[in-house]
Amino acid sequence: MEEQMKEWLEPYSTTDYKTSTFETMQEQAKEWLDQGKVDLFLGYKMVQGHPLPHFFKKDNLDEVDDLIFGQARYSLEKIATKIAAEHPEMKIGLLVRDCNQRALNVLYVWNQLNPDNMETINVNCCPSKLKKHADCSYLEPEKYGSYKKMVGIDNNMEVEAAEEFSQEERYNRWLYEFQKCLKCYGCRDICPVCFCKECSLEHPDLIATGSIPPEVPIFHLVRAVHMGGRCIDCGLCEDACPSDIPLRLLYRKVSETVEDVFGYKTGTHTDQSPFNLLGDEVTLEPKPL
Amino acid sequence: MDYKMIPSVCSYCGTGCGVLFQVMDGKLTGTMPMKTHPVNEGKLCIKGWNLHEHVVSDKRLQTPLLKKDGQLQEATWDQAIQTTAGKLKAIIKDHGPDSVGVLASAKITNEENYLAQKFARAVIGTNNVDHCARL
Ligand code: SF4
Ligand code: SF4
Ligand code: SF4
Repeated sequence: MEEQMKEWLEPYSTTDYKTSTFETMQEQAKEWLDQGKVDLFLGYKMVQGHPLPHFFKKDNLDEVDDLIFGQARYSLEKIATKIAAEHPEMKIGLLVRDCNQRALNVLYVWNQLNPDNMETINVNCCPSKLKKHADCSYLEPEKYGSYKKMVGIDNNMEVEAAEEFSQEERYNRWLYEFQKCLKCYGCRDICPVCFCKECSLEHPDLIATGSIPPEVPIFHLVRAVHMGGRCIDCGLCEDACPSDIPLRLLYRKVSETVEDVFGYKTGTHTDQSPFNLLGDEVTLEPKPL
Repeated sequence: MDYKMIPSVCSYCGTGCGVLFQVMDGKLTGTMPMKTHPVNEGKLCIKGWNLHEHVVSDKRLQTPLLKKDGQLQEATWDQAIQTTAGKLKAIIKDHGPDSVGVLASAKITNEENYLAQKFARAVIGTNNVDHCARL
């Protein structure tokens, strides 16, 4: 993985590339704001030494010179859904990495955003099985200690490697991971494609309340199942998890199953999800296994 | 339409996680972890994630309440302070300063906490000062 990432990073690691990209995207954003193609542009700006999501507007075009992108990765599209919920007619421009674009596709499919109101400037990044080429090292894997490797699941593992453990060992290793959960709901709250008004993770009939860790493994498995046809492998959940639980790996397995059974590659297009059941008729069509 | 992300620090415990307050049209709507903050590196506990709730909660008191005839009733700040001062004086007179304890809070500033302990020690005359994070 590390070797591969170095390879991906190589062609884009020069400062020249960054400077010219910054200028190009600033000009583009200015033009859109000026011409009224977008009412507001979501990108990043350095504030108090931190790259933070920032909203650029027509009445302050000069500020667009501060538009940047860098290693910090926020779900700008999730912020866009909050704005669109209050101001549905608002035209929003967005700086997107590939993971943001995949999340946007899912949000269009689930009617959380109207594609006609969105304009995007793409920056290349985010290594994922859904997008191999990347120019950001943000997701360069963290190194984990030997105890975790001995009794838990190394977050950098591939699905295939994790499946090599015997069933009993695999179960115990995952339980070790799940039991560290603080029930902060950060995985859900940060997730660009978690938008349900009523969340099953808070449903007392599904998951017992009042204890930490939450009921395991059900808490994590309920979320994993709900990520079928939704998760776009951005890894923000795992980034936000204070307990380093290998959530991304878990949801990758779910996405693999969705792809195997329904031939549906979540986030790479805007075709209807096999789980988007409207009306009375069930139209799920599993592929023959 | 106005949407801002305001960087701040979580006030619930001494860890000091970096947060971003999401403010839409002048209303506080949410809290997010600050991804580049050296303390929490983009992670929060459940208290941090819900920081905005204690600001916008309907249950939040807007005026002081005084108990009259067994019922809590709205009062002015002047009434509340006069009543409290009078009662504290009476208690200290009858039972001594150590019959009073001052509980400071994680949700006020460092300076306000300093004032609270100063009030306990210099005005009331007790070392009974503690903090909500230890309760
Ligand atoms: S990787 Fe995590 S945060 Fe990203 S879409 Fe999947 S579940 Fe949501
Ligand atoms: S982010 Fe991690 S600790 Fe928090 S609820 Fe999700 S799995 Fe549990
Ligand atoms: S988010 Fe949690 S751990 Fe961090 S400062 Fe707030 S209360 Fe403390």
